[in-house]
Amino acid sequence: MDIQNIIVSHDNTRNHLDGVSTMIQKGKITTIIGPNGCGKSTLLSVLSRNNTPKSGNVSLENKDLLHYKSKEFAKKLAIVYQQNEIPKDLTIEKLVSFGRLPYQTILKRNHEEDTKAIEWALACTNLLEKRNTDLEALSGGERQRVWIAMALAQQSEILCLDEPTTYLDIFYQIELLELVKALNKEHGFTIVMVLHDINQAIRYSDQIILMKAGQIVAEGAPREVITREVIKEVYGVESIFHEDKQLGFYMVPLGI
Amino acid sequence: MTKKIVSFSIVIVLLLVSAVYAATTGSIKMGFFEFIAALFEDGNNQMEAIRDLRFPRIIVALFAGAALSVSGVLLQSVMRNPLADAGVIGISSGAAFVQLFIISFFPALFFMTPVLAFIGGAFACALVFALSWKSGLSPLKLILVGIAINAMFTGLTEAFISLGGSLNTSVSGVIGSNLTMRTWKDVSTIVTYGTVGLIAAFALFSWCNLLVLQDKTAKSLGFPVARARLIIAAVAVLLSAVSVVVAGVISFVGLLVPHIARRLVGHDHKVLIPFTALAGALLILVADTIGRTIVAPIEVPASTIMAIIGGPFLIFLLRKE
Repeated sequence: MDIQNIIVSHDNTRNHLDGVSTMIQKGKITTIIGPNGCGKSTLLSVLSRNNTPKSGNVSLENKDLLHYKSKEFAKKLAIVYQQNEIPKDLTIEKLVSFGRLPYQTILKRNHEEDTKAIEWALACTNLLEKRNTDLEALSGGERQRVWIAMALAQQSEILCLDEPTTYLDIFYQIELLELVKALNKEHGFTIVMVLHDINQAIRYSDQIILMKAGQIVAEGAPREVITREVIKEVYGVESIFHEDKQLGFYMVPLGI
Repeated sequence: MTKKIVSFSIVIVLLLVSAVYAATTGSIKMGFFEFIAALFEDGNNQMEAIRDLRFPRIIVALFAGAALSVSGVLLQSVMRNPLADAGVIGISSGAAFVQLFIISFFPALFFMTPVLAFIGGAFACALVFALSWKSGLSPLKLILVGIAINAMFTGLTEAFISLGGSLNTSVSGVIGSNLTMRTWKDVSTIVTYGTVGLIAAFALFSWCNLLVLQDKTAKSLGFPVARARLIIAAVAVLLSAVSVVVAGVISFVGLLVPHIARRLVGHDHKVLIPFTALAGALLILVADTIGRTIVAPIEVPASTIMAIIGGPFLIFLLRKE
């Protein structure tokens, strides 16, 4: 995915994304991080076509994003949002089956393929046994997995996740990030996600895009991007970094 | 599953019973077997009167109830709001006013009444949508906007009738919703447009189901949210407009019936829409029959009965919100 000089303004007074250009590499996990209001979620919403930039363009496989038909695009890219309203009286399986919409028309529907994709999505997210459970009866971690399962049923190549671990406790955070990693390694999904936790970003990403005030400050492999100076500059936080055989590379924030 | 089957069976049985009861009760009375026998023979005077007077009334009540209830389901889905009802938020009164207004100046357009009512309803619906869009269609805001729109159109209609009372008296029927003196011509109007609307509504069930998702999520699945909203709303307006043309403004049906229906058969529109149609038909038929028999020979309009039941029900729903 090639991103060229994107400018987005929600209110026409300031640019929430101010000339962002980058490349999302196929088959890799790319994580966008940065302080609150830096435009990371806005960038994700441009990639997923939920936000149309004022200028600049994004191309996917050498075709402008805006030239894709909506169903065609939904087969290429799926997104899981941070907060989702839980519809009443809907089972997991029913919700996941909505993910097949891009493949269905009023007249045509391939039931066999739909069933296969739904089974696969439920299996990946470990929800097979709960398939007939009502969404309202699920815990926060399970709900997040259900939305991921719906996105998986789209059988897209790219999966976007907007702050997937926010509002989850540490157990579900790890469970979710391990799932994301498995989807990347075993099924070849290109992952683009927004995270808050810098150590999680370091541990789970191939590429990190660090943003501040609508611009990209640094990008590349985690070890190259995340340094003491950059963290000080972007977040205003003093920190130390440590490398350990068992723990790998990690950051400990000291203070402000 | 069994709960759904039981609910459907009970409503269908009640519908048949009330239809027969409605046909045989009133100033002309008939026993059940006498009625069945008379149904298949010619020349029974009482039966001829029932055929000409009561049958149209019963059919109009059934279709108006079904149309209004299904219209409520569709509006609730489109506005993602459990409190939407064509009567309460002004779509019916918008339809009534525009139809009355244009017919008064251009009586020659009388044959186009359903179309005019549709235009009025669509205008009111668009107003409600536009004015409550900013608040993210929050249920309470939408109801408040709708009540204001409704008050405006009802007021305009009343003012117009009192100003032009001498101009054209025959149109004043649209404001009340008395189902007396319905003719077979009314029946053909409501059956034609009503059937089209009800079939269209059912055909849209999977779209209605998808609208429970937030817009951003539905869009990410490639679902044309805006187009779906527009089409579903158009069908909802058609259904309420046609019932206004034939049966006048009846509020609260579209609120009450879908709400109870969801409790009984769930939120899946594939089941909900047909069930709501049947239950709505039943409710208006019963309301009309009670209205014309309870203090006979005086008639209480079905809309009055619905308002008496519906008002408290709306308060009940608002308290739950």
